[in-house]
Amino acid sequence: MIIEGKQKIWADYQKDIPDDHYFYVRSCIRQAFWPGSEVTFLDITRNKLGKDFYENPYHTTCGGIAYHSDTIPQETAMTIIARQFALMKESGYENYVCSCITSFGCYTETLETWHEYPELEAKIRQYLWDSCKKEFAKPKYLAHASDIIYKFRFEIAKQMKFPLVNAKTGKPLKVVEHIGCHYSKMFPSKGFGGAEYPHVLVGMIEAWGGEVVDYPERRQCCGFGFRQYFVQANRGYSESNTHKKFESMEPYEPDLIITNCPGCPYFLDRWQYVIAEQTGKTYGKNGYGIPALTYEEVAGLVMGYDPWDLGLQMHQVAIEPLLEKMGIPYDPKKKYQGLNGKDLGQPMCPSCIKSV
Amino acid sequence: MKENILIIGGGAAGMEAATQLKKLGLTPIIIEKSEALGGHIAQWDRLFPAFHPAKDVVAPMLDGVKGIDVRLNTEVADIQRDADGFKAALSNGETINAKAVVLATGFDLFKAERKQEYGYGIYNNVITSLELEKFFRTGKDERINNPQKIGFVHCVGARDVKVGNTYCSKVCCTTALKQACEMKEVFPNAEVYTFYMDLRMFGPGYEDLYLKTQKDFDVKCIRGRVCEVSEDMDGRLVIKAEDTLFGKPLKMTLDLLVLMCSMEKNKSIDKIQQQLGIANNSDGFMQNRDMYLGLNGTAKDGVFVAGTCTAPKSLPDTIAEARSVAVEVFNYINNK
Amino acid sequence: MEYRFKGHLVEELYKDYRIKEGMKACMNCGVCTAVCPAAEFYKYNPKNIVNIVARKNEDDLEELLKNDTIWYCGECMSCVTRCPRANAPGLVIMALRKLSMRSGLYMLSEKGKQQYVVVKDLCSNILNYGYCVYPRTFDYETHKEFGPVGKWINDNLDDLHARMGSNLDGDGPGGLRKIPKESLDQLKNIFDVTGATELMEQVLSDAHQEAVKENLSDEEYFMKVYTENDWEKHLNH
Repeated sequence: MIIEGKQKIWADYQKDIPDDHYFYVRSCIRQAFWPGSEVTFLDITRNKLGKDFYENPYHTTCGGIAYHSDTIPQETAMTIIARQFALMKESGYENYVCSCITSFGCYTETLETWHEYPELEAKIRQYLWDSCKKEFAKPKYLAHASDIIYKFRFEIAKQMKFPLVNAKTGKPLKVVEHIGCHYSKMFPSKGFGGAEYPHVLVGMIEAWGGEVVDYPERRQCCGFGFRQYFVQANRGYSESNTHKKFESMEPYEPDLIITNCPGCPYFLDRWQYVIAEQTGKTYGKNGYGIPALTYEEVAGLVMGYDPWDLGLQMHQVAIEPLLEKMGIPYDPKKKYQGLNGKDLGQPMCPSCIKSV
Repeated sequence: MKENILIIGGGAAGMEAATQLKKLGLTPIIIEKSEALGGHIAQWDRLFPAFHPAKDVVAPMLDGVKGIDVRLNTEVADIQRDADGFKAALSNGETINAKAVVLATGFDLFKAERKQEYGYGIYNNVITSLELEKFFRTGKDERINNPQKIGFVHCVGARDVKVGNTYCSKVCCTTALKQACEMKEVFPNAEVYTFYMDLRMFGPGYEDLYLKTQKDFDVKCIRGRVCEVSEDMDGRLVIKAEDTLFGKPLKMTLDLLVLMCSMEKNKSIDKIQQQLGIANNSDGFMQNRDMYLGLNGTAKDGVFVAGTCTAPKSLPDTIAEARSVAVEVFNYINNK
Repeated sequence: MEYRFKGHLVEELYKDYRIKEGMKACMNCGVCTAVCPAAEFYKYNPKNIVNIVARKNEDDLEELLKNDTIWYCGECMSCVTRCPRANAPGLVIMALRKLSMRSGLYMLSEKGKQQYVVVKDLCSNILNYGYCVYPRTFDYETHKEFGPVGKWINDNLDDLHARMGSNLDGDGPGGLRKIPKESLDQLKNIFDVTGATELMEQVLSDAHQEAVKENLSDEEYFMKVYTENDWEKHLNH
């Protein structure tokens, strides 16, 4: 592979990301499944980088998952989005940062569609007024939260305690990067690096000492598929897509997977467990599986946050082998504890994929 | 006064126009930016549809321009209209006064790295049609190592709104089949596939080439545009396409992938073209007066066009246009 | 058979902005089908669907809307990146699904009927909690792939979220906060004004009628639609 070829493309797709004063909206899935990630993101940006990230408590879901499950009309999704923009305006902000990738895709699609069809924007303006007596302003900048971490990746590297390096051998960890489909597939110019060779996660991996792994099915969807997951009868679709990716990345022996969409790590994590139960096969060395982490978890690990504060105990695939590889100390006793050492028991061990 | 005709470009169009203009008693002067005459066609090995050696056409053309004023390694730096016609300042410091200008600046090959998902410049075994033609001529390319499975991708940089070129580049289909046959000649045991959307075999003998490609050379033509290319652990290329005639997606591992790149207008002439007041058409090529009787003319008096600077075309088309531009210039000079 | 928009399906479909955005004109190159994950696993071909829509034939469109095929797409939008004519089969699918639902034709296919599940679950999450996905309604028993760790998470939800620093069902900002009533009311108003309530009520009513027809309770019908899968029919062998 000729890396200079990719570097030229990355240089073409640069995005303007403002320096400060961001209006932050949360992700349904990230809050529910990876709560440590959003907590860490805000701690890093507010307390370690000194940035102003404001959260208006009246904000809601953007409706993206419902929209892509075809349960709400486009006008509904757009009006919910317009309401979020109105809250941004009311709070005195113009830089909009969302935590979810489906959201990012919906916000981008909405803004682009309004641009193309101003009569639709006018209609939504009217709907928002009729339903909420609110008026919206379009954000000056729209970014995904991973764009912010990407922008400040070198500052994070300066505060880094544990680079993405095998502490025993000194070799960089082999990291697979998985970009959420709705980040740049619809509007390539809205993602760092475009749609074919997105740079937002590559930049983080390289800034933090890791080595990027490319493999044939890199660009493939993890298979979430919205209704293909929510309806049990369709779940095979979701699992099959993840399975395809793991079969493709297996020969490259990655140490970890980093993702920017909140749904993708859920699927890349849990389907490994299911594949092991169904077929006996695990990926990665020694039967533990390959950890699929959010970018906030990876940023937190390199900065020296406690793994259990990051929420790594909420993954099914065991994280301990990676922690040991990176030389990150952890207290096994505290893994499943609640506040103040409260004993919360522990999950049963899966019958196939190894657990610690 | 000498009736100088400034011919910008020393490829097939420029050479043939100059040859004919000289026969008509005018004084053509060829300005060629590279170190030799011949343009793209001089880099070619064999021509479609019947594998005619390119040098058998290039050599007589080069002969025909013997005795004609040629400036190699030279560009037109500046051009202005004056009372007698045009005054051109050349990059070698010379000034030439001419009564008419013929733009015969030809094409650039589409830069294949712009079609990012094909991985040109990223994956080692992805090459362009021009690079393959060079391999046929010289026998050397370090990426071509006894490939056993070879694919040709049609429409790279053409018929594609995503790269900004929606036009058809006309000659790539025939070139692809020609090169596919030639690959089978060099590597008779290899499996050769072409991935096309349409097979534009528009000229005399072209459909015969198509038949020959399938029957005599056993090249497999799959109707489906290549969607993406990746590299596996062994450096082999994995392509995805749909076999549209069967309605099924397919994945194939290949040793070599040849990209049939489109023609784009040679952009090094942009400044001069602007100074002359010649616009581009919606495909980014030079705008001629019209595609019928105004084929060689432009919006500006005294400025003429011939060859691939106005649109992708074949060598026979180019030669015909070069001859017709000579007649147009002659008539213009003589106020006919 | 009677259904809403009968005789006007094409006209209704083309009003959708996703058709305006997504249907420029197809030249049958196949790159969408080549990259589509659904085309690999299901008997699905996005190129063919775009062609049917382009033909603007009322009977063909009716057949399409009755069929399982429009429900196979996972809306990943991989097709949008590559199309050389700037079409968006993924957006066309969304418009087809909406029309299939509004016309009632979705009730004639196994996969179409499943919309009851997603409408019920997701819309109730949004209107009751302000989230599309909410941990207290994410049931382990029907999501065994959540894994043993998922069961542990659900069994210790409040303690775990407290430990993680969420603000589960709390006031003010924070993860999984209680979304204020004012916001939920506004979401309901948005649903009412933009047609989401109407669509939701139609789907719930269609499901109830079907349940009655099949002599099932709503819950039994829900589970039937949730799990029924004639995979031989759907899968690409």
